[in-house]
Amino acid sequence: MAGARADGELILFWTLPVLAAIWVSAFFLFPGFAHPMSPALTAAQVAGFYRDPAHLSLIRSSMILFNWFGVGLVPLLTLLVLQVKRMAHRTPILSYCLLGCAAGGPAVFLVADIFWLLAAFQPGRDPQLTLMFNDLAWMTFTTAVPFLIGQSLIIALAIYLDHPGRPVFRRWVAHFNLVIAAALVPAAFTGLALSGPMAWDGLLPFWLKNTAIAAWIAVMSVVLGRNIYRQRAA
Amino acid sequence: MRSIAWHWRNNPKRELWLAWYATVVFYNIFFIVFFPVTHAQPPPHPGWSDAQVAYWFARSHGGLLAGFAIMFAIAGLTAPQNALIAYSMRRMSVSRAFAYSYLVMYSLSALPGMLLLCVVLSVGALRPGRDPAQLHWLYDFGFLSFTGTMGIFLIGSLVWMLAILLDKNRVMPKWFGYLNLCNALTEVVVAPAWIFRTGVLTWNGLISWWINIAVFGIYTGAFIMQLRNLILREDFGDGPLPSLAEATR
Repeated sequence: MAGARADGELILFWTLPVLAAIWVSAFFLFPGFAHPMSPALTAAQVAGFYRDPAHLSLIRSSMILFNWFGVGLVPLLTLLVLQVKRMAHRTPILSYCLLGCAAGGPAVFLVADIFWLLAAFQPGRDPQLTLMFNDLAWMTFTTAVPFLIGQSLIIALAIYLDHPGRPVFRRWVAHFNLVIAAALVPAAFTGLALSGPMAWDGLLPFWLKNTAIAAWIAVMSVVLGRNIYRQRAA
Repeated sequence: MRSIAWHWRNNPKRELWLAWYATVVFYNIFFIVFFPVTHAQPPPHPGWSDAQVAYWFARSHGGLLAGFAIMFAIAGLTAPQNALIAYSMRRMSVSRAFAYSYLVMYSLSALPGMLLLCVVLSVGALRPGRDPAQLHWLYDFGFLSFTGTMGIFLIGSLVWMLAILLDKNRVMPKWFGYLNLCNALTEVVVAPAWIFRTGVLTWNGLISWWINIAVFGIYTGAFIMQLRNLILREDFGDGPLPSLAEATR
């Protein structure tokens, strides 16, 4: 398996630390993330956020960075699909499921990115319109979890159904994916609260969700990298 | 419970059954959320005034937010369904291109065909005091993206149809191949919904909604049963798993 067909996997894999560094810098560059914007802000306050000259270039540059590099997650997901294909399953159905989810997460995130850039494009617009674009951006961003939940559950299932004697990933990776899936669920319900721990700037839909995504990328990268190196050595 | 545990450990078709049950669970939740919970189906009228749309959002407020929250949590269940349908094409005597193109198209379809409606109508319901003209724009955006996303389902159904009609392994009956054509044609008659705000061709009209939903209901019921038959007929025997057989070779 370590022959020509695996060529280039290491290059795809080592793009990850670079991408992660860009994602983290873009995250802190956007002035609406470090202190997440409350859904309870008035239209005038939201318009003021976009009109602030100190904010405007940061909003645009961070969202352009996300637009460029957000889809960089797809190669990682594709490498995971190849690991699932190696598992002792009778059909390719779980790798198909995972491939189906791979495009979904980044695509939904790109829609949120477009709404943020749109709000910043003409900050002089009627504040009610800026508020609406801001709502669309935050709701899309926060509720963009269905394919992330899906892929965690599918990876967990794939590991549980793998041959226990010769597993591609160890069982704890499956348990870990279940925990991540559970941590992402509250974000889906953020529309029900404009303040408190369930609002889109709150503990569960913002901090827990984004920490879970970061932890998932970090942990899955490490276990994936180990597998790729081990499989090349075999 | 004991029987479920036995199947989980021993049933050679467990991956396929899990995908099939995921499909059934998804359509049940989809129906409950879209019909009784959010009242997004049958769709409200496209010819309403700003004030009528604002009233609709105010009346459906809680249902819209709670119902679509459920969809955000479970929409990943569409992946096993698309994977199972793609797998049916892998069993046919046709190129893998059919399975892969169906998988790509239908994986993409969830965003414009469903999730955009969920996000946009949730944003409408989020602030009942929003300017009614803006609520109206969100309303049009939501229903037009949902009803008016046509090409993916049109081409996707035709790909599945062609695979079934060309297949020599008789994985699915030919009549079901032609039923795919009926489903594809509903995407054609839906196109006028982008143009008309009154009459039978609107997004809630007799032709663009009622006939469509009838065909879609029959089609969905039929493909769920056909996928069930596919799994029942699948014969993996009791030999070793493919990768284990490879390892001992």
